[in-house]
Amino acid sequence: MTDRRSFLRGASVLMGHAAFGQVMTAFAAAPRKPTWFTAAEMTTLQSLVDVILPATDSPSASAADTHYFIDLAIPACATPEAQKTFRAGLVAMKNFATLAPAEQATRLKARATADLALPYDQSFFRILKDYTLCGYFLSEIGATQALAYERVPGGFQGDLPLAANQKAWAI
Amino acid sequence: MATSNQFDAIVVGSGMSGGWAAKELTEKGLKTLVLERGRNIRHITDYSTALKDPWQLPHNNRTSTIADRAAQPIQSTLYLYDQSTKQHFVNDLEQPYEQAQPFSWYRGYQVGGRSLMWARHVFRYSDLDFEANQREGVGIDWPIRYADIRPWYEHVERFIGASGENSGLAQLPEQILQPPFEMNALEKHIRERMAAKFGGERKLICSATAVLSREHNGRGPCQGRNQCARGCPFSAYFSSNGVTLPAAAATGNLTLKPDSIAHSLIYDEGKKRVAGVRVVDAATRKTTEYFARVVFLCGSTLNSTALMLNSKSSRFPNGFGNDSGELGHNLMDHHNGGGATASYPGLADRYYRGRRSTSMYIPRFRNVSRREEKFTRGYGYEVYTNRGSWTRGIESADFGAAFKNEITRPGEWSLYTEGYGETLSNHENRMWLSPDKTDSWGIPKIHVSMKYGDNEKAMAKQMMDDAVEMLQAAGLENIQGFNREVTPGSVIHEMGTARMGRDPKTSVLNAHNQVHAVPNVFVTDGSCMVSSPTQNPSLTYMALTARAASHAVEQLKRGEI
Repeated sequence: MTDRRSFLRGASVLMGHAAFGQVMTAFAAAPRKPTWFTAAEMTTLQSLVDVILPATDSPSASAADTHYFIDLAIPACATPEAQKTFRAGLVAMKNFATLAPAEQATRLKARATADLALPYDQSFFRILKDYTLCGYFLSEIGATQALAYERVPGGFQGDLPLAANQKAWAI
Repeated sequence: MATSNQFDAIVVGSGMSGGWAAKELTEKGLKTLVLERGRNIRHITDYSTALKDPWQLPHNNRTSTIADRAAQPIQSTLYLYDQSTKQHFVNDLEQPYEQAQPFSWYRGYQVGGRSLMWARHVFRYSDLDFEANQREGVGIDWPIRYADIRPWYEHVERFIGASGENSGLAQLPEQILQPPFEMNALEKHIRERMAAKFGGERKLICSATAVLSREHNGRGPCQGRNQCARGCPFSAYFSSNGVTLPAAAATGNLTLKPDSIAHSLIYDEGKKRVAGVRVVDAATRKTTEYFARVVFLCGSTLNSTALMLNSKSSRFPNGFGNDSGELGHNLMDHHNGGGATASYPGLADRYYRGRRSTSMYIPRFRNVSRREEKFTRGYGYEVYTNRGSWTRGIESADFGAAFKNEITRPGEWSLYTEGYGETLSNHENRMWLSPDKTDSWGIPKIHVSMKYGDNEKAMAKQMMDDAVEMLQAAGLENIQGFNREVTPGSVIHEMGTARMGRDPKTSVLNAHNQVHAVPNVFVTDGSCMVSSPTQNPSLTYMALTARAASHAVEQLKRGEI
């Protein structure tokens, strides 16, 4: 069964792997300028992702650049219809960043209620949740600080007592 | 012709079957040329995404981009497809085929073929499977029985290394297996409840999987990443790239030619033997002829059959070896439309560490000891369980600090299971070549037409009902049965289009996978299958390949071929 020794052996194999250095240096900082959204839309988006995933015992969504992730991922991955829905949704939320926290929550709750039953491509809230959660929880900050992540777990232990404060595995 | 184009053996294809043909033939001293239509992928060195974290992959490894879906409209629908694996699947636009009925053809054109991305389940077939066609008067009889293939299953299992649990059931013969990966708390619970309810007739076991739980011949063990389809830097699962091709190369008898598309077989009318293979260079489109005393076709079911259909001569005007008229017919795939999902609120204090790269399995129990009225044959289930992750937050209306705290903790246990059912052989399910349209390399386009029949549909309904019944017996909650439409091809077990048989009038290959009329050609990929059983087929392809290679070498030594 897996133990610390086999875990460490896994890590040493990893260090010997030719691609390892490459992987570590390929890790570039996210761009700081929006590529697809306007500056105003980006401001709205930044507030939205932080209302969904605020700072708790782990950093907020925007601290992990989730809004920049969305700025790249929506034009690359979402269908044309979902892209249109998403931009229109941001425009409709245009003063969101200026609202008081309680008002922001009310506003987003209303949007969730209106949108949740809509087909995905027509649902601003569902697209927003999808990309916000994917952007944050699979970022380095989200995966390693908000959740638990092991690139090379070293084996599989099927049945362990749940540790106090155990975070869920990121993948 | 230049002597450098002369070999003892040519193997077309470098995947699951081709790798085994290469290993066995080279180890027996034959100078062997392996032709691979796709690019080279070197073990470990070329697994470019293997160790990347989600944030190091495009768009945090979201399944597909718009550009991906445009270039790979079929491949990108596969559960395995994401930013870390897409390089192992073909570009559908560059590799077109025609679907007379919807048929999802998932392909990996590269050294190693689909052995790089397979699901690694390795079960043996039993005589319940080998005798079924004859017993029921379906299709034709298998020309072999379990006793014929058993030593070859052992031979393959010893070399590839597989882990898992023997079921103790006759319909799933005992295998040579390393200890299984551990069950989690919910799986242990289900196993106990099923044992109490079904008295051993239906049981949950850890699947036999070509993933190492212990070190084996310097490979592995599995490091719990469950990212196999990227290629494994620890060599912990079986692939041609990591296991059989290196063994073949170590003999000094292997010549591997990637980017070499087999166009047709060169038939010598005088000698009544195949003299070699005509090959188109994937990049330059230049044609080269290679010659050998024996040829193994291991290019995957549809491609090996297409190669034979495209090899016409005055002796074989309807395609090479097609005296029976069965070449291209009897296409099968498994069907996996019936199953269930469920959740379990208990065992909240248990968790797991690492990502196990196999499933749990419920072996076939229908039409084993009793004859069912509504359908013949049976199915086994793959069972997957986990505790809820952050993804459960996507479809909820909630947000904010409490929401974030909740979804970053392990959620409720949930379960997904689907049956894998046998599909009966049917002459109407088939592939053929376009009479006038060719691909970029001048090879006729493949047409496919396959539909599931009434037996499969009746079985799928029972598959759902049985899944629900077993989960109820196990005390799970929120049980939702499903019985969805399955697109043929999507289980990626396409097989049967050059079947083995006892009679040359109704089959293409004999009991040793030799073309009846031309015994120096062996076909040992899925195209040779006579029936589809319920179990995953790759282990059987490997065993049949090793068995055929041994036979080929014996016949060569005796001067019979």
